[in-house]
This record gives sequence, C-alpha cells and structure tokens, in this order.
Amino acid sequence: MKQLIAKRLSLLVFVLFGVTLMTFFMSHVIPGDPARMMVGQRADEETLQEVRRQLGLDQPVWVQYFSYMKGLLTGDLGISIRTQQPVIDDLVTFFPATLELALFAFLLAILIGIPIGILSAVKKDTAWDHGGRLFSIAGVSTPVFWSGLVGILIFYKLLGWLPSGGRLELGAAAPQHITGLYLLDSLLTLDWDAFRNSLWHLILPALTLSFAQLAIVTRQVRASMLEVLGQEYIRTAMANGIKGPLLLFRYALRNALIPTITVVGLSFGSLLGGAVVTETIFGWPGMGKYVVDSIAYLDFPAIMGFTLVIAVGYVLINLLVDLTYYLLNPQIRE
Amino acid sequence: MSVNLEPQPATLPRRRFNPFWYKLKKNPLTLLGLSLLLILLLLSVFAPLITPYDPTKINIVERFAPPSSTHWFGTDEVGRDIFTRILYGARLSLGVGVAVVCTAGLIGTVIGCISGYFGGRLDQLIMRLMDMVLAFPSLVLAMALAATLGPNLVNAMIAIAIVKIPVYVRLARAEALALREKLFVKAAVTFGIPSWRIILRHIIPNAVSPVVIQVTLDIGDAILLVATLGFLGLGAQPPTPEWGAMISIGWKYLLDYWWYPTFPGLALFLASCGFNLIGDGIRDILDPKANR
Repeated sequence: MKQLIAKRLSLLVFVLFGVTLMTFFMSHVIPGDPARMMVGQRADEETLQEVRRQLGLDQPVWVQYFSYMKGLLTGDLGISIRTQQPVIDDLVTFFPATLELALFAFLLAILIGIPIGILSAVKKDTAWDHGGRLFSIAGVSTPVFWSGLVGILIFYKLLGWLPSGGRLELGAAAPQHITGLYLLDSLLTLDWDAFRNSLWHLILPALTLSFAQLAIVTRQVRASMLEVLGQEYIRTAMANGIKGPLLLFRYALRNALIPTITVVGLSFGSLLGGAVVTETIFGWPGMGKYVVDSIAYLDFPAIMGFTLVIAVGYVLINLLVDLTYYLLNPQIRE
Repeated sequence: MSVNLEPQPATLPRRRFNPFWYKLKKNPLTLLGLSLLLILLLLSVFAPLITPYDPTKINIVERFAPPSSTHWFGTDEVGRDIFTRILYGARLSLGVGVAVVCTAGLIGTVIGCISGYFGGRLDQLIMRLMDMVLAFPSLVLAMALAATLGPNLVNAMIAIAIVKIPVYVRLARAEALALREKLFVKAAVTFGIPSWRIILRHIIPNAVSPVVIQVTLDIGDAILLVATLGFLGLGAQPPTPEWGAMISIGWKYLLDYWWYPTFPGLALFLASCGFNLIGDGIRDILDPKANR
C-alpha cells in the first residue's frame, strides 16, 4: 500500500513536469512569434525587438524554460493581454464561480446517475434498462452547448421557470465573501434571499454540465452492479432469504461503488474542462468564460495559464481518486 | 467392422450462422444507431438532389425565415437555407470526425507497436510523452493547441488527433508487448528479418483489433470535439457549413430565432448518438463480460 502511494506520488512529480513542458512549448515554441502576437501586426521592428528582449525570447530555449519555471514557482503566469492584469489574479477571481458550478454539477450527476444505473442493472434487458441505456447514450452524445441552448429555450423562454444566465439577478447583492461560492457563503451568513437567488441561477447551468457526466456515472454503476449481482456471494445471500433493498444496497452496491469511484472522480476533472462551454452559454463569470473571451483576443498568457491550472487540478484530482481507491479496496489495502 | 469409405467433401459446408450478426440483430439500440447514420449518410450524399438551395449563397430578402414548406428548418441571418447547410455540413462534420479518429488510430498504432516491440528506453520515453498528453482534460488541451496553431478546421483536426493519439498508443503497445514474445515473431527475428518489416508485417496487423474497437467508440466523441472547437471559434470558419460553427453564430439569436442553432445541434446530436450506439453495440458483442 505504502509502496503504491509512493510510486503514485513520484509519478505525480514527473507528470507535473510534463504538463509545464507542454504548456511552455505551446506558448513559446509552436506559435510563430509570441512577441508579434502580443504587439500586433502593425507594430514596428524596434518595438518588436524590445518586447522580445523583455519577454526573454532572444535567449536560448532552455534558458526560456528555466525562467518560465522560475516564474511558475512564484505564481507568475504572465500578464493577460486583454485585461492587463496578472493572469494568476484573474484566475483566482474567477475560480470560485467555476468550482461552485462544477461541484453542483458533480452532485447532480451522482444523485441522479447512481439510482438510474442501479435500476438499469436490476431490470436488465427490460424497457427500464433500454430506457436507461438510451438516456446514458443521449448524455454522452449531446454537445454541452446544445443541451444548454435547449435548456434555455425550454426552461427560460417557453416555461419561464429558470433564469437564462448569470450567478445572481441583475442588481441583486452578492452574499458576504467568505469562500466565493455564493451558495455556501449565503448559507454561512444565513442570507436566504441570496441563497434562493444563487440556487435559482445555478440549476440550469449545473444540469447542462452534469448531463454528460450523469451518463458516464449511470453506465459505470450499471456495469459494476451487473458484475456484482452475478457473483456467488450474492447468490448465497439470496439463497439465505436476503432480498430487496437490503441485498441491493448493503451487499451489492457497496462493492459496486468501488470501481465507480474512479470513474466518478475522473469525471470531476472533465467537469472543469466542460465548464468552458457551459459558462460561455450561460454567461457564468468563471474561468471557462474568461478563457473563451481570451481566445477571441488570442490572449496566450491567459489561455496557457488556464490550461496549466486546469491540468494541474486534473492531475491532483486523479491522484486523490487513486488514493481513495487504494483506501477503499481491501484487496489493495492488504 | 464396416468402414464408411464414401468420399468426404473437400471443404466443410459453409457455416450459415454468424454469431456477430445474430447478436447485432438482437440489439435494437445498435440497429437504431446504424439506421440513424445510414439516413444521415444518404441525406448528405444525395444533398444536391434533395434540396434546390446552395449552402453558401446569400439571400438577404429571406433572412430569418421561420421553418416552412419552402425552408424546412428556416433560414439564417443572411437568408441561407438551414436544412441545406445541415445536409452539406454532414459531409464535413461526419467526414472530419471519422478522418481525425482514423488518422489518430493509425499514428497511435504505429507508435504503440514500435514502443512495445523495442521496449527499453525508447518505450519509456514514448509512454512518458503520452502520459503528459493524458494529464490534460481533452477539451482543454485541444482548445489550447488549436488556439496555438491558429483557428481553422485543419488545425482543429490536428489538435484533436494529438489529444486522441495516446489512447491508441497504449492499446497497441499492450498488444505489441504480448506479441513480441510469440513464437512466430521470435522465429522471424531468428531468420534475420529486419525489425521494421516484423513490425509492419507481423506486429501491426495482429495488434490492430483493439484499436479498431476503440476507434468506433471514439468517432462520436471526435465529432463533438470538432463541433465544440467550431463553436468556440477555433474550428471551421464562416461561411463553411460546419455544424459547430453554425451553432456558434446561431446561439446569439436563440431567443428570437430558435430554429437557427436548434436544428444544427439536433443533427450533431443524432450523428454522435448514432456512432455511440454502434460503438456500444460492438463493444457489447465483442466483450464477453458484457454478455453475462
């Protein structure tokens, strides 16, 4: 067990090094001339050379990588061309909104996906199962931006039940800043108006974002449950008269959830990526919207800063998922 | 003791029962996927016969016309028929999705086989490079690469192929590792056949089947990725009738002209759904665990 964790942690160092190497190559080597992109096509040669010197682009590649890493270690991700602010400050500002959206979507995916997966497995090859499978395939096949648009069309335009975008009603005061997650902050400060308002605005974007992950969770739970339900200890339990919810939840689901944790955990990483599109559609002021706005300006420091932060987050979540799996799986623990 | 000396037929009678097709026919969702794709394919191939409109011709007089008998899916902001653009866009969106995954599958198989066959430091180097790519969420990396290379369809395809390659490398490598220990490969080495020829003639053809299954599973995802990059402005550029690019412009008009982004999105959903249903069906048929 300890050896496994040590091996996994040593791999982490390597992967993080690889991530920085890739973002460095994308920002410094692949684009024809980052300095030209920064100053624009109309800038004269003298300005261009000055910017190149300031950015250190006249240095050998390995020197550039060294100073890039030095910057990263001190939290320097460069200055955004669009906002003229340090990228790290921008990302810190926009991060809580993305985290809130991803966490809520994650919760929805688990709360809806697990029961559907169980139902599909228990009623295998019936209309319930076919319906469940069709639902999960529809989830992975629906482009996030389209499900968002259809959601706005139905729930905002036709039914008028939910708002079409933003984190709060226009003019509404944000709850007192504690974590930056409006739902949590309003709960902590017992600000019920802000809680209702932010929950109201969160439902549609979170449902949209969770749709694909929900499908993945459903599929995994169905597969794991089918495998567990076919095992001998379940048959023995049934022969001893154990049936119904006790058999399903106490004997089958507990074991079926172990492999599910890996898939569900990894899906949280994908949620951070998927937030890029969801935030754009719903005008959600998070990191995803920030990076899409930056793409329009070809703001490389912002794009690469976001890519790096998301990749590091993704790697760390993967590590956490692996460690949880080791802890929960008795075969590995022993 | 009597011995039957009747001449036996030179070849065994042809087996009529094909378990693959039997299982396929028993799986209604896979057949639904096949039908969906077949319809989309036929519509795109016969587009010039089905619709009288030009997918790129501007007709400002009919801008934002709602769905009607003349324009089934309505028209866009410059009066182009959306149904026509979807049909012509199918050639692009489906073709690009298939091309990206097949290219990535081919490159991944070759790299994976080389890595697995030679092993050692080369293998370590290749696999660590693949780990780096896998450390990113696929959409985020594809987006960063496409932005870096420049926003157009070819660069978007390159970006998605790069993101997809590591999965195929891993699959092919695992097969190659097992194959290099097989007797027929060892015999080829003993005969002095050069490594490139062994990889080309013996390793790759035998390592390709898991990659093919993965390719069928990935096409739907690749189509969505191409469309997502198009939606973000990093894929096909206007006036190309690519579904993602159409939605990218159309969603701004959603509340007033709902048909504009809705129908290209529906086409995208059906195409991706078709490929996913087929991929799922093939996996179910070939995976004995799923058939329990």
